[in-house]
Amino acid sequence: MERPEGEKLAHGNRRDGIDRRWKADRGPRTGRGMTLSLDTQPRAGVRGKTRKIAGDEAAARGTTAEAASIVLTEAERAGLRRAGTVLCVSDLIWIAQAALLAFSLSHLLSATLSHTGVDSSAYVDLTALLMAAAGFGVLALLRAGLQFDANRRAGDIARQAKARVRTELLAHVSSLSPSAPLPSSGTVGIYVSEQVDALGPYIRHYQLQATRVRIVPVLMAAAVLPFSWMAAIILLVCGPVIPVFMALIGMRAKSASENQQEHLARLGGLLLDRVRGLETLRAYGALGRTLADVKRSGEAFRAGTMRVLKIAFLSSTVLELFSALGIAFVAVYVGFSLLGEISVGTWAGPLGYFSGLFVLLIAPEFFAPLRAFATAYHDRAAGLAAQEKLHELLAPSQDGGQSQVEAGKQVANVRAACPVPAGPPAISLASVSLVLGNRPILNTVSLEIHPGATVVLTGGSGTGKTTLLDCLLGLQQVDQGLIRIAGRNVADLDGVAWRSSIAWLGQAPRLFHGSLKANLRMAAPEATEAQIHTALALAGAQDLVPRLPRGLETQLGEDGFGLSVGEIRRVALARAALRADAPVFLADEPTAGLDSDTAKDVIDGLKRLGAGKTAVFATHDPSLLALADLHLELADGALRTARPVGATS
Amino acid sequence: MSPLGQIVRWQWAQNRVTFVLGILAALVPALAGLALLGVAGWFITAAALAGFTGVFLNIFVPSALIRALALLRTAGRYAERLVTHDATFRFLTDLRSRVFAGLAVRAMDGPRAARSGLSLNRLVSDVAALDAVYLRMVVPLALAGASALLVAIVFVFAAPSALVPLLVFGGALGVLGLALHRASRTRDARLQEAALDAVRVRTVDLVAGRRDLAVYGGTGPAADRIISAAETLRATERRLDARANWLSAATFLLGQIFAVGLLCVLAFAVATGDVALPIAAGLVLMALALPEVMAGVLPGMVLLPRTKLAAKRVVASASEADRFDSAAQKPGLADRPARPGSTAVLTFKNVSFAYPAAQKAVVSDLSFDLGPGETLALTGRSGCGKSTVSALGAGLFKPLSGSVLLMGRDLTHWAETDIRTAVTVLGQRPYLFQDTVAANLRIARPEATDAMLWEALEAAALVGRIRSGSMGLETLLGEDGLGLSGGEQRRLGLARAYLTRPRLWILDEMTEGLDRQTAEDVLDRFFAFRGEAAVLMVAHKAQEVVRADRVLRMSEGGGLVVAN
Repeated sequence: MERPEGEKLAHGNRRDGIDRRWKADRGPRTGRGMTLSLDTQPRAGVRGKTRKIAGDEAAARGTTAEAASIVLTEAERAGLRRAGTVLCVSDLIWIAQAALLAFSLSHLLSATLSHTGVDSSAYVDLTALLMAAAGFGVLALLRAGLQFDANRRAGDIARQAKARVRTELLAHVSSLSPSAPLPSSGTVGIYVSEQVDALGPYIRHYQLQATRVRIVPVLMAAAVLPFSWMAAIILLVCGPVIPVFMALIGMRAKSASENQQEHLARLGGLLLDRVRGLETLRAYGALGRTLADVKRSGEAFRAGTMRVLKIAFLSSTVLELFSALGIAFVAVYVGFSLLGEISVGTWAGPLGYFSGLFVLLIAPEFFAPLRAFATAYHDRAAGLAAQEKLHELLAPSQDGGQSQVEAGKQVANVRAACPVPAGPPAISLASVSLVLGNRPILNTVSLEIHPGATVVLTGGSGTGKTTLLDCLLGLQQVDQGLIRIAGRNVADLDGVAWRSSIAWLGQAPRLFHGSLKANLRMAAPEATEAQIHTALALAGAQDLVPRLPRGLETQLGEDGFGLSVGEIRRVALARAALRADAPVFLADEPTAGLDSDTAKDVIDGLKRLGAGKTAVFATHDPSLLALADLHLELADGALRTARPVGATS
Repeated sequence: MSPLGQIVRWQWAQNRVTFVLGILAALVPALAGLALLGVAGWFITAAALAGFTGVFLNIFVPSALIRALALLRTAGRYAERLVTHDATFRFLTDLRSRVFAGLAVRAMDGPRAARSGLSLNRLVSDVAALDAVYLRMVVPLALAGASALLVAIVFVFAAPSALVPLLVFGGALGVLGLALHRASRTRDARLQEAALDAVRVRTVDLVAGRRDLAVYGGTGPAADRIISAAETLRATERRLDARANWLSAATFLLGQIFAVGLLCVLAFAVATGDVALPIAAGLVLMALALPEVMAGVLPGMVLLPRTKLAAKRVVASASEADRFDSAAQKPGLADRPARPGSTAVLTFKNVSFAYPAAQKAVVSDLSFDLGPGETLALTGRSGCGKSTVSALGAGLFKPLSGSVLLMGRDLTHWAETDIRTAVTVLGQRPYLFQDTVAANLRIARPEATDAMLWEALEAAALVGRIRSGSMGLETLLGEDGLGLSGGEQRRLGLARAYLTRPRLWILDEMTEGLDRQTAEDVLDRFFAFRGEAAVLMVAHKAQEVVRADRVLRMSEGGGLVVAN
């Protein structure tokens, strides 16, 4: 989509997540290939000066070369070059068409000249004219076909590259351990959806036009050269001046917009912000005042944006000016030569009508690729900025200190050969040590959990209870020592199989977009409706389902039904409960943030689900201690037995 | 009227002068461009004739005209851009106000399914997408029509037979455009949008839920689901691209055929002596430039499905905007008598409430009184409808049956503005706007002086935090109150509430999610501040409940179980 520049200006710098723009790398560039017109930088040229402004910074940081390498494979590059060449051929066919047109008109001229004042139709070679017209038509068809082909090829490559980059990003993200650092989920979401999309126009427009602008103008000037070196010089002088002036004005526009950026960004996001806070505004009786605010800020936004645009539009005006003047000079030069007023600029003899007309017809096509390139240049900036961001995500900063070491400790879906033990296993830690971020989490910890025992693990926040559970889940490798599950090193277990034999309730359980049923079935894809209801009952969530709009089929997530924290935790407990046969049960702060009634339900569920499993519950909540066979306290990297087994009443 | 037509009508009604001015401004460079090539073609042909025959030709007028047209075209283009963009921004400003007003009216009408952040984002970008209506559709269409008409007039005088190819060309373009308009269903646009949303939302799920996925189902299958959405996106884009490519190839070809057809017709006219050769050359060159002007409608045609979709949603949201004034300033029926003998600040009388289309009522047959100066706690497990009660008490929702009385008078007889002055609701998540601290506070009281703001901040124990920044009250808060911790955000919400002087406070789980100490502090400050006003407290934390004079307990069905 081609936003007016100011819109982009405001949105360009917005924080991820607010600004969802539909970028259309879908429009045909009107600047492409139409013949003989000055009008090649039409309204389409409006596309994002600001995208350019935002992106230029990325380009300036000099990441261009290496960033480009993540986007296109060698085959895709070759394909783009081919598409660009096809486009150039289509452009160059105009030279033949121009010659046919010039031939037709100069034929008419000679017929008119030789028989002024009489009906000259007898002297016009109609066959020749019709042949020329037919030739022109056939060439036009060929050009249309070539243009179509070039666009299709470039579009295919762009889509293919986007799909490949998305797959790479997702493979990277899903191969990381859950405890590995990543940007926020919202940011990654924007990367995978919109930043990748921003690559589209860069690939299909910019790359194509970059090929075209390197080849076509030079060859157009070369086509003119045999007839008149003067005309070629006019073109070759006017052409290169354009980018110089555009760059100068572009810099001025950039500084102008930088001054306003922050301000405009805030004004641009005002509506979304106020609409989100509609309830608050209503509660304070501020709706009317805010409506006035929305109007006022829109007005300020318009005024500020127009100030920037007044400068930004100058750069395309320069392009306009030189191309229009270039054509005007050529026309005047040709006219005066034909009159005999000027006799310089040709190789031998005066300029003929055919040559003159041909030169005039070529001139606009000399400028057309320059215009199209200027338009596509904005895509380059946006594309490079996106590339840089994606590059950062794929290759986390090298200067992040310990991150490399830590990345090694975080194991993901590493498959190992050892089968997962059946039945509740004994879990033992032998002199386990783990340091994360220079902080000792576990310091030569040893521990023995009997099969089927329930352990309650307490300790202040940040002492590493969650990390210890991660170690048991096999998501975190330890520095020293061994964690054994039924006597086998956890690192040697088939991680995926091991984790699917665990009933687990996380600290901040996440439910996914999709139906409630689909969410529950993630734990047990084969679960029957009856099993689901049993699991919900165990989690104290049986009353929840009838209250939902569509029962188990209710869609959860942002566009679906919102559940409260307590409800989410109970659904997550039900999800864990669907693994009724799991030999191991791990729960992390299962009662945090719940009211006492709900907490009671959840504890009850934990107790029932934990029966017959080796269970570890990490918690702050003293009421969970009632479940404990063994109470351990984690502090400063050391595990302390706080209460002996069986001491609970 | 189609939503797209409605958008055009709104813009027309909003500012007719700029609407027309934009089109006129666009005509100048287009016509100058056509004329430039026409004059150039005529000039060099006439010059060639004169050169051969020695006939006198005034060379200065045409050569000056050519240069003038080149400059006019340049200046005209600049002016056109400024004028059309200015007109568009003016309209978008108006449209944003309409959308806000429309959504506000709906909010005042009562509860609906809450709009997700996703759909609000979409709505806002829909508004932005509607710039295409004027810039890419109205102006180019008007421009194409007007240019074709003017060229036709030139043809009538210069070479009437040239009208035939022009009419054929115009007709063919018209047919192409109409066919596209018919075929441009919004289906693909919607699919594309949904697929992109799915990619983003599922990626967010994958990243935020990595730990859950590692145990339940694995990250691999989750990534595969994203890739399948991306494949849908790719297939949809391929269809949209193909459409755009066909469109541009067809238009290009039509333009070229028009030019060569015109050449043939004019060649014949020249041969028969009906048209002078220089005129014919000028017209041919003009004809080569005309398709470019006509092709200006192409980007708009390509954007049509997406724009139709946006227009539909925006019009649906903004349609009730005109009711804003009447809804916000609904006259109160102050003369209605208060219930005799009642001294209660808030009375619920057999109130029932259910969300539209829900099976079960959230609140059923609830009755209670809240006396002056009294603090009443309403407890019950989460999900039992406590928050609904606070919304009913504040007049944000209307009961399905029964009545809610404020100061003895039915809430439906109160003016919206009067309710807002009388009642302040403090929720568990105060929405903080992306604006300055001062602006956030003045939402509650626009006329508050800086001193009053500091006083409110003092009461909320935020003075130190706000003073520590160099900008003081002018400190900007980002999305979700950037730079402030959860507790500080809550206290800022408190400070905002402290600018009001209500008769009734409604606290909706005010300290939810705060640690014990912060919660205690927030509660202490609130009860020190609230003065004589009555307080309805929706709470489940013992810490809050102990502050109440009286505690009511709600059952899961929304009725009252115990009052103690």
